[in-house]
Amino acid sequence: MAKHDTPLLDELEKGPWPSFVTDIKRQAEKNPDCWDILGQLELSFRDKITHWKHGGIVGVFGYGGGIVGRYSDVPDRFPGVEHFHTVRVNQPASKYYSTENLRQLMDLWEKHGSGMTNMHGSTGDIVLLGCRTEALEPFFWDLTHEMGQDLGGSGSNLRTPANCLGQSRCEWSCYDTEEACHHLTMHYQDEIHRPAFPYKFKFKFSGCPNDCVAALARSDFAVIGTWRDDIRIDQAAVKEYVAGNIVSGGGAHAGRDWGAFDIQKEVIDLCPTECMWMEGDELKIDNSECTRCMHCINVMPRALRPGAQQGASICVGAKAPILDGAQFATLIIPFIEVSAENEFENVIDVIENIWDWWMEVGKNRERVGETMQRVGLPTFIKVMGLEPIPQHVREPRSNPYVFWAEEEVEGGFDRDVDEFRKRHAA
Amino acid sequence: MGMSDDEIKAAMIEKATKAPKPQLYVKDFYKCDPESKPRKIKNLANDLVKQGELMFWSSGSTTMYARPDRIKDEEGDEGVN
Ligand code: HEM
Ligand code: HEM
Ligand code: SF4
Ligand code: SF4
Repeated sequence: MAKHDTPLLDELEKGPWPSFVTDIKRQAEKNPDCWDILGQLELSFRDKITHWKHGGIVGVFGYGGGIVGRYSDVPDRFPGVEHFHTVRVNQPASKYYSTENLRQLMDLWEKHGSGMTNMHGSTGDIVLLGCRTEALEPFFWDLTHEMGQDLGGSGSNLRTPANCLGQSRCEWSCYDTEEACHHLTMHYQDEIHRPAFPYKFKFKFSGCPNDCVAALARSDFAVIGTWRDDIRIDQAAVKEYVAGNIVSGGGAHAGRDWGAFDIQKEVIDLCPTECMWMEGDELKIDNSECTRCMHCINVMPRALRPGAQQGASICVGAKAPILDGAQFATLIIPFIEVSAENEFENVIDVIENIWDWWMEVGKNRERVGETMQRVGLPTFIKVMGLEPIPQHVREPRSNPYVFWAEEEVEGGFDRDVDEFRKRHAA
Repeated sequence: MGMSDDEIKAAMIEKATKAPKPQLYVKDFYKCDPESKPRKIKNLANDLVKQGELMFWSSGSTTMYARPDRIKDEEGDEGVN
């Protein structure tokens, strides 16, 4: 039985799509505290203001993150949500679960919390919504001791790293995303569990430029698989695709008849750098122009494969809109080897180079992408000790001035003025 | 000779006690020893939390540090616990 009248929220149950109101009502039948989520939200809709209070000091002993404190500012009317803290649980790599694990986790959350979840948060964590302060430690004990799982990051911590399923299932993965994600998660436990920076910092790992974890858009540090030699072509399979004997796109978009496969229209004409052509019945690629967009490979997976010299590109500085507007990460390192054999040492070097600089130069609550924007890419590239390359350039220059650093000028900026005046009287 | 860890920690405690606002960003502590790398100051700040000299205060997206006694005073007013 509903505890509060919620005519405004009930509107959100109409229509054919899923409704969070219906979900919360269903959970409230099990856990009556959840009626107060709806009651308070209905009040917010009427008052046109939130009744949640942000911030504070909740957490579990020894950790400075993983729990986000939330309280009701009308606890007398809605005691069920007086405390409604959010708990972030580090998801398993690639989000592989057994049903047993999920059931155990839900039993635990119904015991200690509201039973409400968000699978998954945009960072990747399992987000458990709604817990009282005094239930946090018992929950944490059971999570770590009974389930062997841990909290993720929040606040100014390194946030829970996330990865695509990589080589565990995907033939396109150019490095072992799961190993990289797991290794760096373990390597940076201190940074994940305790605040480490002026603001949040996120890693994400995708095995190829399809970027299934959207690392490019969602992480300060995106490691995206790529190759540096040529796309591998099986010309016999190309002929099979052209003849219609192999279905294109691995059978995707099969719900409708799109007509016979047309390699010119569906692959060659859609190559963004126009670097493909047919010579008779052979497919040719000018690999020096290929931008590794994955389109041709996605359409003809049995004929085309990423090259054999595999590694990753590193892009830095994506963020969501809170301050200056959303931005994608910028390509910084076009190719780096990513290998468990050296314990990801070269990736770690790049990460720590960025951290050392950003912790010093970044302002409070400034994401690294904003710091980069503020100082400009040329400065950032110099900090990283990199030579500029054409891939760093987004557009032709619109600033006519050239600024030289002293070390770039022969003889430096000191000169003999008397010598100069002999030739050019003042 | 640079400052010892204990000297830096003492300067950090003093800063957190006297700063106009009770909550400080980790960057606010960098000046306690300009010679130390930011990551070292961060580690000392987290050490002070372990010792109970500082506590975390978080908005959810950013984490700050404060002297526990200064925060408890604030909370009395707001009723947050
Ligand atoms: C009309 C209702 C709602 C809509 C349209 C909505 C939509 C969203 C969306 C689009 C996201 C980002 C999800 C992602 O990228 O993974 C999100 C995140 C989130 N939502 Fe909701 N939401 C709604 C209601 C709620 C309610 C009622 C709660 C809590 C009781 C809630 C708690 C959260 C939290 C904590 C996150 C952030 C997760 C993270 O940290 O990544 N949302 N929501
Ligand atoms: C009108 C209502 C609300 C507004 C305007 C609001 C605004 C915001 C903003 C601006 C942020 C980003 C903060 C930052 O980066 O400094 C944020 C983060 C967040 N909020 Fe709220 N919020 C509201 C309600 C809620 C509610 C009802 C909940 C849960 C009960 C909630 C949970 C969160 C969480 C979990 C985060 C993420 C913190 C993190 O990134 O670590 N918010 N909110
Ligand atoms: S990002 Fe690439 S490697 Fe990873 S799952 Fe997606 S297609 Fe496969
Ligand atoms: S990967 Fe993209 S850019 Fe490269 S050849 Fe294929 S379609 Fe063209």
